[in-house]
Parts: sequence; structure tokens; C-alpha cells
Amino acid sequence: MRITLTNQTFKHFTIMNVKLKATLFLIMLTSISIFAQESYNLKGVVLSAADSTGLAGVTIKILKTTKGDLTDLDGNFQIAVKNGDVLRFSYLGYVSKNLPITGQNNIKVYLSEDENVLEEIVVIGYGTQKKSHLTGAISKVVNDKLDQIGVSRVDDALVGQISGVNIQATEGEAGSAPTIRIRGTGSLVGNSGPLVVVDGVPVDEEFLGSLDMNNIASFEILKDAASGAIYGSRGGNGVILITTKSGKEGKTRFAYNMLTGYKTARQSDSYYTSMSDAVSRELEFGPLSDRTLYKQLLGVDNNWQDIIFDGGLITDHSFTASGGNKKIKFSAAFNYLEDEGVLLTDNFERLNINAKIDYKVSKKLSIALKINPSYTERRRFDGSTHDILRQPSWLPLYLDESNIRFVNRFRDGGVYADAQIGGYAIQRMFDDYDLTTGQPDDGASDGTISGTDISNTSNTNPAAKVLERNRRDFDYKLLTSLSAKYKINDDFTFRSTGSLNYQFRRQSRYQGVLSNRNGAAASRLDSSTRTTTRLVLDNTLSYSKEIGKHEINAVIGTSIEQRKRDFESIQGSVFVDDSSPFISSAESVTDQNAFEWERTLLSFFGRVNYAYDDKYLASFSYRRDGSSVFGPNVKYGSFLALSFGWNIAKEDFLKDSDLVNNLKFRVSYGVTGNNDFRTGNELVDNYPYLAILDDTTTGVSGGTQSLVVNPLNIANPDLTWERQIEFNPAVDFGFFNNIVTGSFDYYTRTSDQLLLNNPISNTTGFSNALVNLGKVQNRGIELEIRTRNISKNNFRWSSTLITSKNKNELVDFADSNGQIQNVDSKRASEWINLEGNPISSFYGWVVDRDIPSQFITNPFHPIGAEAQDVYVRDLNGDGLIDDDDKTILGSPYPDLVWSLTNDFTIGNIDVSFMLQGSHGAEIRNMGDQYIFNHFNSAQDFISSTPNQGFIKQKIFTNDIIQDASYIALRNLNVGYRFNDKTISKLKVSSARVFVSAQNLFYITASDYTGFNPESINNTSATTYGYQRAGSPVFSTVSLGLNVQF
Amino acid sequence: MRQIKFLTLLVLTVLVLSCEDTFLSPDLNTGINADNYFTNDTEIASGVLNIYDGIQGVNASKFTNNNLNHGVQVEFYVTEMRSDNTRTKSQEGEASQFEFFNIQATNGIVFDNYRSYYNVIFRANLVLDNLGAASTENAPKFEAEAKFLRAYAYFQLVRLFGDVPLVDKVIPPLDTETAFTRVSTTEVYNLIVSDLETAITNLDDSGSNDQASKAAAEGLLAKVFLTLGRYGEAQSLCESIMNPSRGFALESDFRDIFYSEENEEVIFAVGFLAGSNDDSQNFSAEWLNAVGRTSGVNYVTADARASLDANGGNRAQYSYRLDITQPSQYQVVKYLPDGDTDLGIPVTSSDPTSAGNDWVVLRYADVVLMHVEAILAGAQETTSSNALASFQLIRDRAGLTTPVTSITKEELLEERRVELAFENQRFFDLLRMGVAQDVLSAFSTANGLGFSASDLLLPIPQAEIGLSNGLLTQNPGY
Repeated sequence: MRITLTNQTFKHFTIMNVKLKATLFLIMLTSISIFAQESYNLKGVVLSAADSTGLAGVTIKILKTTKGDLTDLDGNFQIAVKNGDVLRFSYLGYVSKNLPITGQNNIKVYLSEDENVLEEIVVIGYGTQKKSHLTGAISKVVNDKLDQIGVSRVDDALVGQISGVNIQATEGEAGSAPTIRIRGTGSLVGNSGPLVVVDGVPVDEEFLGSLDMNNIASFEILKDAASGAIYGSRGGNGVILITTKSGKEGKTRFAYNMLTGYKTARQSDSYYTSMSDAVSRELEFGPLSDRTLYKQLLGVDNNWQDIIFDGGLITDHSFTASGGNKKIKFSAAFNYLEDEGVLLTDNFERLNINAKIDYKVSKKLSIALKINPSYTERRRFDGSTHDILRQPSWLPLYLDESNIRFVNRFRDGGVYADAQIGGYAIQRMFDDYDLTTGQPDDGASDGTISGTDISNTSNTNPAAKVLERNRRDFDYKLLTSLSAKYKINDDFTFRSTGSLNYQFRRQSRYQGVLSNRNGAAASRLDSSTRTTTRLVLDNTLSYSKEIGKHEINAVIGTSIEQRKRDFESIQGSVFVDDSSPFISSAESVTDQNAFEWERTLLSFFGRVNYAYDDKYLASFSYRRDGSSVFGPNVKYGSFLALSFGWNIAKEDFLKDSDLVNNLKFRVSYGVTGNNDFRTGNELVDNYPYLAILDDTTTGVSGGTQSLVVNPLNIANPDLTWERQIEFNPAVDFGFFNNIVTGSFDYYTRTSDQLLLNNPISNTTGFSNALVNLGKVQNRGIELEIRTRNISKNNFRWSSTLITSKNKNELVDFADSNGQIQNVDSKRASEWINLEGNPISSFYGWVVDRDIPSQFITNPFHPIGAEAQDVYVRDLNGDGLIDDDDKTILGSPYPDLVWSLTNDFTIGNIDVSFMLQGSHGAEIRNMGDQYIFNHFNSAQDFISSTPNQGFIKQKIFTNDIIQDASYIALRNLNVGYRFNDKTISKLKVSSARVFVSAQNLFYITASDYTGFNPESINNTSATTYGYQRAGSPVFSTVSLGLNVQF
Repeated sequence: MRQIKFLTLLVLTVLVLSCEDTFLSPDLNTGINADNYFTNDTEIASGVLNIYDGIQGVNASKFTNNNLNHGVQVEFYVTEMRSDNTRTKSQEGEASQFEFFNIQATNGIVFDNYRSYYNVIFRANLVLDNLGAASTENAPKFEAEAKFLRAYAYFQLVRLFGDVPLVDKVIPPLDTETAFTRVSTTEVYNLIVSDLETAITNLDDSGSNDQASKAAAEGLLAKVFLTLGRYGEAQSLCESIMNPSRGFALESDFRDIFYSEENEEVIFAVGFLAGSNDDSQNFSAEWLNAVGRTSGVNYVTADARASLDANGGNRAQYSYRLDITQPSQYQVVKYLPDGDTDLGIPVTSSDPTSAGNDWVVLRYADVVLMHVEAILAGAQETTSSNALASFQLIRDRAGLTTPVTSITKEELLEERRVELAFENQRFFDLLRMGVAQDVLSAFSTANGLGFSASDLLLPIPQAEIGLSNGLLTQNPGY
């Protein structure tokens, strides 16, 4: 009777547990144990909650007793218990778990990793460190559910995961790389991207496109200069350390992860003017023009976004086997991914194999081998969205039964006489239509072909430009490394790692006969191959010692690196038809090119980390880099870092506090560098100290071709390291039993001696010169707060808030202060680089008001057109508009980037979602200029327009400067873990299904007209923020499955 | 054991240090290190050819970056299209700024011309600075070619922009004073004259017509002298070229001037080769209906057609034609890339955007008419028999054989217009003869365009002004 009652009470308790305090829980358990029964043998397994692999060596203890056990290699255990006992499972780095015994058998216990555990180990350059001893700004992201995000690249999955790291989908084609900026734009010469290190081996950023997220264990991002300084010259823009999964001792485990989803593009309403909109707009002003009447007659109303944003499937399969024994551990992973992309023709496929073997030769010596081959094939969207979207809605894509009768077969000397159903519709075909006869004019009545013209371009159908081109990138990559670790004694370890990265890229771009208005004469094939090898040899000697309360970790080492590239390309022109798109079928070879380069790096480095009583921390590092890129006298750069930390929470007065569990002040100062810049010419990028003569072009003399030599650059033998100097005070905290944890960082990062391809007067014969010039400062704060709102057995809820604020300022620009630049000499919108303002600020006149439609030459043709001009403000009030009325119109850098993630676990169901936003950035939306026809004299103003002196073209004003802020539901993930009973019959150890979605909503600023505020064309860092329609933001909804056995 | 490991590390470090010099200085295998170049005649000759290559410019249909230098291929925009001869087909884009005389300082084509000419000047200065390495035998010729081409570039610049920065040697990027200081046209002309005099002294007529020659330098200098009002000197230079011993003559068939290259009439041309990305041109395609990158530029005005119809004789049919695809429009017939069967003009390139038609800079007919102009010497009329003879020579070929008894300035101007139509001469002719303002004002009024006196000079490119920190000044009216 009593027993029954107790059981009922306990059940009741389970239901109510959300409301009850833990203390009550313990009291009740104690009372329950009084009524305990006979003991029995409990069997079970302890698994990692993250990947359902067995955890070996987990300590199991029966509370209030001395009895206990450890799990075996597979995580299995067996222990004698009786009802009422409470088992405690504890394991280093995992959250301990208590389990009351109520007669269960064959139990599975999941332990989740404790992100706040003080003993957590963090990978730092050339070593590891306890998280509690960190004195620099290093963020760690564990691959918990990152591999369930329906994106094709690992960097795309990192959006919003780390404070201070802005990952922006600047290009949206399938497989294209996002732009990664750690703590703002520091370097100005093209490459402000971080250094990427995979399993200790520095690789080209391109490798981010061939990695398999399923196979990645964690990312560590070294954000401040003090942390990055150990990578010296290449740490200047931050470092991303990637650790792939390794085998663990124990039974061989297999895992299969699968995801399949569908991607759709976000469209812009502004970029589609329907026929009915056009008609009603025109009717407001008067009767419809003949043109509009004819356009209506055609009966077509295309939203070209529907045609070029065709959506696509994304499919990802990953299979892993891992295991090992005391001698050998291995891990092997195979991944296949296909992403059809949301654009017409774009497609990305990847095959990736990663094999790691770790062999313990003896107690002292172990050898590790990693082999990671991959293959990616990418078909490009070989066209430009702005070019297609400026097509009017009346234009069909293909000729069909209903529209072919409008084709004028007589005009243009009869070039459209053979137009057939199924052929591409071209604007010009529909000109010269006679509205009175209802036929295309044949000129019979008056001898000349004339009628209503509606075309506004002579180009071929722009979708044909994309569909009739075939542009593919084939990448074959191999990342291998072999390392030996020798433990000299308890204190010293010597490690030698050699790695070889090999990248072979073949690019092929065929422009078919129908892709150009000039037909076969303009067909061509561009084909190229590029081989890059990178050899790195690292030798380190590390020292680790605890003497009393002193803890010292030190490392010294050398690093030798060599990179080589060769490139060859060939172009064949004029193909009779598309049947054989190979170089052998070209009428002639019209271009060929080849180059090769080599660059080397030689480094010496050392670091000492010191901790006293876990309270007082200090770190010092130094690296000296020699780079082949610089001239003989300036090859070397020295990069040092100092940082200190104080764990106040370990002081006596806080040691036992329930309120403050962790409180650490840290401050770091460091210098890093950059020797990587992109001028557009790879020879100049690698030998800038030499004056290079290009000997690949030809000139004509006596009617024949001869080679000429033409200077490529202005040599700069004094060109040297760009420096980043960073000061970073911060605090890490954990309050209320670590229910609230987080960190707050303040940083100032000053980049000076900027490696700048500075525009110079063309009277010198050049338009740019590489110099060390100027100083840019990024100042900002970063706040990360993680809370465990509810932690109950059946209901857990945690939240993460990540915010970063950054301010960019050009501090010094020497003689170039106030320099005004443009991207395209044909659409010369201006950027200014003015001290005291962000680099690359938008510059121009301020819009006052629109020109009324009655003053526009032709306000209703083409459809959707807007005036190309606008009235601007006379800012200085002198009665005229000139350069003095120009002002700074905005900046392309966000002020605030944030994300808020919530994770819920309710029984077998888990839910997580991330909101992410960016605020304060502007873009110069040149897409508007094309799509709204801001460049055509048809949109000019008429001669009677008043105040013409106050009119300027929109591209020189803030008319097309738009707010690029957004708020998005970046990720939503709902998973269900099958009950053990259900799956044990299938010999599966765990199984989970999930639905994952990206960008289910994506809100942009009201004045933004495009479809992706993150899209930015690749221009220079001093003319950043140029958008030309670009590619759209996409939403993905995926279904996935994780199985382990 | 421990010692062995330390030793290994030490050895590795020493190994690295010992080979560090070569390790950290990999060789440049492709491209040429300029420090070791320009040491002999062959190398300097390739530098000389590079100057010609600069004038030739980049084919914009093959290399689509708008910021490249397109050289002579975009010259027609700032000359012919600013005159009463041509316009765009559809009055759109920045190209239409020229015909409407509302050119903006941000106009990319103006900038293209400016930087192209200065790039040519740089290439010439590079040769001149390295002349010391040439053999005494060849150095004078190299110097003459470089100076001839530099003079050509400055002559264009000074007429298009007025006062311009004067760069007569390779300047470093920090020499902003030279780069952004405009000097008077007089000083620029002094350099042009002295360069051309050197060229005349050092050159002969032995090369082909896409190379600098004594006659080319004399002809160009004659035009410079006409511009400066130094008529006597101009006349003797023309007569020097017209000496029968020099071997220049008019082509009997006007059409053949443009379609039979290496003929005896062309004195200097910029060479192009069909089908080569590096050495072809696309201006021929741009002048057609939507074949090049534009929908059609350098289309013939009604005004020019009227002149050609009235005074062109048999030259009219080889100067313009009806655009069959848009029968209200008229195209230039000179330099057709895709031929014209009715006119007996062959196809010169299977891809019209990769055309090989040479650009004629100076031809004998121009010299003969300059001879007339020199004798006229700024007067309103001449009856000089020498002038009449020269004038008649040109008209006879055109089939206009009625003897001429006197030549007015207007008649000479008109003759030059129909003879040299669409050869980028018209705008400069109007300027040189002092009638640009009157003629263009009248033309502008008749066609509803926006000409004013300040439009005779182009704006200094805004991009250069933007870099100059206020040092570089703008022309009035911009």
C-alpha cells in the first residue's frame, strides 16, 4: 500500500517537476529511499547527446553510497541498484546527470556537452588551452546542429553564430563564397578575409567550399590580434581554426546523415511592373499610347524573376565510420552534396572524402595521417540578373502560337523571316506593328516598313544569354598531412607536421551561337586550367609543466611554407553550331595566356602561457615572418602579443558564491600583419617589388603581329607588411549557477601601413600603385549572453544572444585624404575616402524632389521606367549646384549585427530557431539604374523643364543609396528523436528526423528595392558597397535524418 | 634522446636559415623583370612597338572592363560626334552627351581618351628614358618613333582639353605636381614641335604605313603649324611630302583607300588585324546597327549627308549608306568590317567585333588639302595656282572635274568635310579655321542641341580632379 502510494507520488512529482525546486526533489528522494526494495542488476549505455556515440569511461556513482562503476569502451555499464537509488553520471566536459531508479532496465543515458565547463579545451594556434585560462578573444562553435542547416558551404552555416564575425551572402549562386569579415574591414586591398586553418594546416579560403559540415567537430575563431599573432602575418584579418572529427577508442560506429530540401528565391516587388500596373499608371495621365495598346495586345505579362529564379533542390548525404583501439584510431567520412541553387542553370555538386588515422607507435611516439580529397563541380549562372530584369513584362521568353503572329518578318531586311515557334523572342521582332490593320507592317502600302515600335533594346533575349551559355568550374582538391608527435618526457613534446594541399581547377565557358545577337560570329569558348600547390612544414617543441600553483605552457617552432601556381588559358572563337563546343571546333584560337608564380614564407615563433593558481593569467607570443612578397630589405615583420587575465571568481571572497560562478577580466594587446593583397594581376600580387613587363600581348607593325612588352605595375621595393594593432579588454562571466553566462569585449583595431592599390593620376601611365598608406580604425563591442532558462529532464530551454557593434573610421590617408573614386567609368557614381569617416563612404548630391512626370520625355516607355534625373539640393545655398554641394551619403558597413537563438528540448522533440539581423549599412543599388531605365534618353527631361540647373542624374545622388538593414529568421530546426524501443529492433542505436528551414522570413528596410540587401559586387575596398541587382536571398525548407548504428 | 630532438630542431632551423635568401626570393618565371630589360636594340624595339599598341587601344568587345584604355578606337566620340557629321543612332547613354553638347565631367569616354593618350605618352617616355641602351645606329630611329607618337598624343590632348599636364619623362606616382598641374597650350605645342622636328630629322620613308615615317612626321607637323598659324612652315612641309620623289599619290579609286591597305595614299595608319583579340578593333562594329556593344554610334547626320550629296561626287557612296535594318538611319561606309556586296566591299572579318580595318591617321589627300590651307594662310580666298592645282587634284578624283578658279575658306572647309568625312578631322578643321563656334552654333540651333562656346573644350575628367586634392582645375562651363 505504502509502496504504491510512493510510486504514485513519484509519478505525480515527475509531471509536476517543472514547478518544483531541486531541493525538494532531493528531500523527497531521501524519503523514498527509506522504502527501498531488493537490488537488481541494471544494464545501460551512456551516450553523447550530440552524436549518440557511446562515451567510454563515464563515472557512475550511486549517491549516498561508495558504490560506483565506469562505462566500457562502447559506453556500456552494468551496476547493482535498487529502487530509490539515485545514479550520478559524470564525465569530463559534459553536464552531469542524476537518475532516480524506479525499476528501469536497459536504460540509455544521454549526456550533453557542457559549454560552460571550466575545463573545456580550446584550440589555439599551434596548441590548445583551457578555456578558463584564455586571455584573448577566441570564440568556439561546436558543430551541434550546424550540419542540419540546408546550405552547401560550411561558412554559410556560420552566419550569426559568432559575435564580431559578419558573414554576408554577397553572391548568391549555388556554391559561391560568402564574404567573411571578422571585426570589420581592416585591410583595404581586396582580401580582408580571415586565415583558414584546417586541422592545423593553413589552407586557401577556397577550401571552405569543399569541406563537409557533417565531418566538422568545431570551429575556433581567433578574433583579437593577440590570439592571431601566433599566425603573424596571416592573422591580421582573424583566423578560423577548423577541427574535423576524429575516431575515438571503442567499437566502430557508423553514422548516416541525410538532408534534402527545396530552395526558393526571395523576389523584389519593385522589380516587376506588370502590364496592368503600367496601364493604370498611364491612364492616370491620359489615354493609352499606341505603344501601350500594342503591348497589351501581345497578351504576355512576364515577371522575369519567375523565369530566372527557378528554385532548386539541395541534397546532402554523409556517411561516417569511426572507431579504434588503444593503438589505432580512425575516422572515415564520405559526403555527397548537390545544390541546384535558386538561379537559372546554377548548380553545385560536391564529393568529399576525409580519412584520418592516428597510430600510437609507442608510449612516446605517435603518427597521424590525414587524407582529404574532394571534387566539386559548379555550373554558373552566366549572366547578370540586372540585365534580364530590365526586360519589360510584355516580352515572352519563347515564341508560341499566340505571340508569333506579332513577329514582323519584313523588317530589318527580313532577319526575322524564319522566326519559329519555340525560338527565343527578341524585342526587335515585335516592332513595326500596324495597329489599324492588326498585322505587322509589311511596307506594301507606302513602301516603307513602319508601325508601332515597342522595343527598347536590340539585344537578344537575355534569358537566352544564360541558357545558351555553359560555364562550369571543376575543382579537384587534395588536402593531406602527416604528423609525428614525440613525447620527449613528461614536460616536452616535439611535433613535426608536413602538409600538402593540391588544387586543380579547370574552368570552361562556352557561349553558344544563340547567346549573342551576332550569332555564330560571337560564339566562343574560354577554357583554363590552374594548379596550385601549397607545402607547409611545421616543427614545434612544446613544454607543459605544473609546479605547485604555477602552470606553464610554452611552444617554440618554425614554419616553412611554399605556394606555387601555374595557369593556362585558351580561347577559341566562332563555332559553326553548338554541336561540338570544344576548342578543336573553333574557327580560330583568339587568345591564350599563361603565368606561374611562387611565394614563400619562413617563420619563427614562440609563446608562453602562464597561470598562477588558475587566478592570474598571462600570455606572451612572438612571431617573425619573412615573406617572398616583399623586397630584399623589408621581407621580415615581427608580430608580438601580450595578454593578461584575472579569474576573480576564484578569489576567496567569491569562491563559494552562488551568484557569481565565473568572472574573468582579460586584456590583450597584439600586432598582426597582412601580406596578401589583390591587384587583379597575380604576378603583381606576388612580385610587387619588381617592375614587371607583360610580354604576352602583341602589337602590329608592317601588318604583322609581334610581341610587345608593356609595364604592368609601378615597382615598390619598399612595400612591406600591413599591420593590425589591437587592444581588447573584456570580461567573461557566469552567474546564478552558470544559468547566465557570457562575455563582453571592447576592441580597437588599428590597421596601418595599409597595403593599398591606390588610384593615381593616369598621367603616370598607370591608374593604380601599390603603397603602404593610411590608417583605418575599427572600434567595437561584442556581447554574448547564453542563458539556460529551464533545465528539466523533459523540458530544456536555452537562449543565446550575440551582438556586435562596429565603427569603421579612416584615421589617416596622407596625400590621398579626400580621394574620390568610382567603380565604372560609364556609371561614375562616387565614393570618398575622407579622414574621420568610414572608408569607402558613398558621395554625391542629396535628392530634393522628383521631376514631375509631365516633364519627362517619355514617362511610360519602357514599362517600369523612371526618370533618369532628379532635383538635388543646393547644400551651401549659393544658388548653383556644383561639387561643393556634394556630401557623404552613407556607408556600406553595418553598425550592429546580432542574432538570437533559442533551443528547446521537450521530451523527444527539440526545436531551435535563430533570428538574425544587421543594421546601419547602406548599399548603392545600381540595379535600380538598369531596371528602372535611369540611363536612357527616353527618360530625359524636356527642354521646358524648370530649374534645370538643379537637376542631376540619379546615379550621382542618394536616390539609389538604400538602407541594407534586415532581420531574418535564419534557421528553424525541429527534430524528433525516436524512442529506443522503436529503433532497437532495427539495430540502430539512435535515430532522429528533423525539419530545418532557413530565411522563412526576411524583412528588409522599406526603401530597399532589390531582393538581397547582402549582395555586393566585387569591387575594391575603397569603393565598397556596389550592388547591381545581384542574386536573391533564398529560403530553404529541408527534411533530414540522422541515424547511428 | 632529448638532446637528439633538440639537435634535430636546431639542424632544421639552421638549414632553413642557410637557404633563406634564395628561398625567400623565388624567381619571376613569367613576365619580365624590367630591371634586366631594355638592354639592347631588340628589347627597345619591343618597347617602341608598345607605344603603337597604346594608340591601337584595347578592343572593348573582347575585353569588357570599361576601365581599360581604348586608344584611337574611341576617338570618334570626342571628335566626329562633337561635330555636325555624326550622332548616336538612338540618342541614348553617355555617348549621346557628345551630340547634344551636354558633356558631363564624369563622362567615361572623355576619361578613356584622356588616360589613353597619357598612357601612350608614358610608353613613349619609357622608351626615351631607356634610349641609352640602344646602339648608336638605331637610337635615333627609336627616339624619332617615340617622339612622333608622343607628339601625336599631345596634339590630340591639347586640342581636346586645352591646357593639360605636361609629362615628358616617366614620373613616379608621388609627383602629383606634374600630374595635376595644367600648363599652357603654348608650352605643350613647343614640345610637340620639337618632338616632330626630331622625328623628321631621324626618320625616312622606308617603313610600312603603320610605322612612323618622315612623311608622317612632316604631315603631322604641317597640321600643327596650320593650327598655330605658321602657314609658311606648313606649306614647305606639305610640299616636301608632295615632291614626286617621295612616292605618295592619291589612290585612283576612293574606295580603295580604306579597303586596300598598304596603299600609296595612306601615310600613317594605326594597324589592326582581324580575328585577333589583342590587335583587332571594334569601332567598325559600333558604327553598325547593334553589332558592337552599343546599339549604333557615329551615325551620319542629315547635315553631313547634304554636304556629301552636294559636293562629294563619287565619294558620297563610299562615305555613307542607308541602314537597311532601320531605313530612316544612315551609316558610315568607311571601315566596314562585314563588307557590302552592292558597293563591292569585301568582308574583312568573320566576327565584325574583331575587325582588322586599319585606322587612317594621315593620308595624302589630307596633305594636299593642307597645302591649299597653308597657301590660303588664314585669308578668305585664294587664287594661287599652286593652291588651285592641289585643290583640283582632290576634286578630279572625286569625278568633279570642272576646273576651279578660286578657293574660298568655306569651299576648302567643305572639300575637307566631304573628302575626309568620318575620319575624325571635321571638329579639328572647324577649330583650326576659326569657324567652330559659328558652324556648331548654327547646327545646334537647327537641331535643337545645346551647344555653347565652352563646349569647344572637353571637361577635364572628374576622376582625375577627384584624386588631385584641388590641384587640377576644370575647364570653364563644366
